[in-house]
Amino acid sequence: MNAVDLHRRLERNSGWLIFGILFVSAIGGLVQVLPSVLDDSLATPAADAKPYGPVELTGRDIYIRESCGVCHSQQVRPLLAEVRRYGPFSKAGEFAFDRPFLWGSKRTGPDLHRIGGRYSDVWHRLHLLDPRAVVPDSIMPAYPWLGERAADAEGAIQAKMRALRRLGHPYTDAEIDAAPAALEGLTEVDALVAYLQGLGTPGGDAR
Amino acid sequence: MAELPGAFWGGWVLVLTVGSLVGLGWVVFSVYFGSGRDEHEASPVWDGNLQEGAHPAPLWWFWLLFGSLVISVVYLMLYPGLGALGGAFEWSQGGELRERQERYATEFGPTRRLVAEAELETLRADPGLMASAQRVYDRNCATCHGYDARGQADLFPDLRDAEWQWGGDPAQIEQSIRHGRQAVMVGWLPVVGEETVDALTDYVLALADGAPAEHPGAQPYTLYCSACHGPDGAGNPLLGASNLLDDISLYGNSAEAIRHSIAVGREGEMPAFADRLDDTQIRLLVAWLTAR
Repeated sequence: MNAVDLHRRLERNSGWLIFGILFVSAIGGLVQVLPSVLDDSLATPAADAKPYGPVELTGRDIYIRESCGVCHSQQVRPLLAEVRRYGPFSKAGEFAFDRPFLWGSKRTGPDLHRIGGRYSDVWHRLHLLDPRAVVPDSIMPAYPWLGERAADAEGAIQAKMRALRRLGHPYTDAEIDAAPAALEGLTEVDALVAYLQGLGTPGGDAR
Repeated sequence: MAELPGAFWGGWVLVLTVGSLVGLGWVVFSVYFGSGRDEHEASPVWDGNLQEGAHPAPLWWFWLLFGSLVISVVYLMLYPGLGALGGAFEWSQGGELRERQERYATEFGPTRRLVAEAELETLRADPGLMASAQRVYDRNCATCHGYDARGQADLFPDLRDAEWQWGGDPAQIEQSIRHGRQAVMVGWLPVVGEETVDALTDYVLALADGAPAEHPGAQPYTLYCSACHGPDGAGNPLLGASNLLDDISLYGNSAEAIRHSIAVGREGEMPAFADRLDDTQIRLLVAWLTAR
């Protein structure tokens, strides 16, 4: 038995050939992907990771809708320059309640994973509605409509939280019942600022 | 947070990786050197000269594959890759970062400590250090206070004038940078009513030129405002209560802006930078900000 014989036998039976191709192409995934999906140590929330509240969750969806992730990443890599600039590097457990995670892959603007608390709320509000008002040479687009729309215009917050609960986020009934009230009277920019200010509780070792 | 997989998945990765490497080696070797490689059924001839054959790929191709296998095996022995085995170098991303941080500390630590403990005068006299300070400022402070440190948006204070809401001593400035400031001016409209708010606005505008004692705003000022802003309106840096005697008003000098401050109130927030800047950077900033 050698590889040439084996190949000859495989290529004459399409069933075996298909199986052989699938098996060989699956090895990489079996080694790389399967353990990271099934090994609990990577999916365990970091000690200070907590599920997003209704306001932050709405802000996160606005962040996704406005494609902030196209220009801003949310992952501080374990490199000296990044750790000194942004703060402690990102760990897997910090993203346990991010569905989907918003790591991003391109930095036209700065990384945002440690942005929380760096600026005041009022700065964020001004900057989101018109970035040039505070940073004259900014190339970030302005998002003036965020200040006009109601945060919970769709009224979908309870459905979102229930869907996430089904996926394992520990929301209580009381939290879900109280969610619409928490969004009452807030505009989209309020929700987005709350989300941004919640980003970046450093998960562990200092810089 | 585990950097390497646990026992079961570690074994899984190990078996699959080693198994696929062995399988690959077997395929490569038997294609080149195994029996049966030359056997080939007679093939029909097309177009007079086209015939299916079994020429092996050139030998340099074999060495390429063999070389890749050897490199893979050596790599897996040195670096983490085989499940829970960390490799001979015991390399990890976190470890690499720590090593670089240590190297950074050894190389720059002593100089940085000198700066952190230096007299402000000495720092101000060094143009190189002041250029560094300006870079720290541009990177961390300019987004709110502006690149020229003149403040902006009628919200973020001017850092170049003589007026410091929370005090302009180096120690007070350092405190502001390190721990941030939370300024609260409550709105007085619900308490005092429209008329008094108007009177107070007029009084505050007149204070700079010495408002007369019989001014209609004088009495409510003493009653409601003097506790924080002082009986004479000079302010109190301990509370972040602004000086009302000068013509510098953070939220704007217009009667409208001042009336809004009195009626609705203001909330100012300076974030804390103790976790974002180190002692050296803060010392440089204080020196730069107090240079005139």
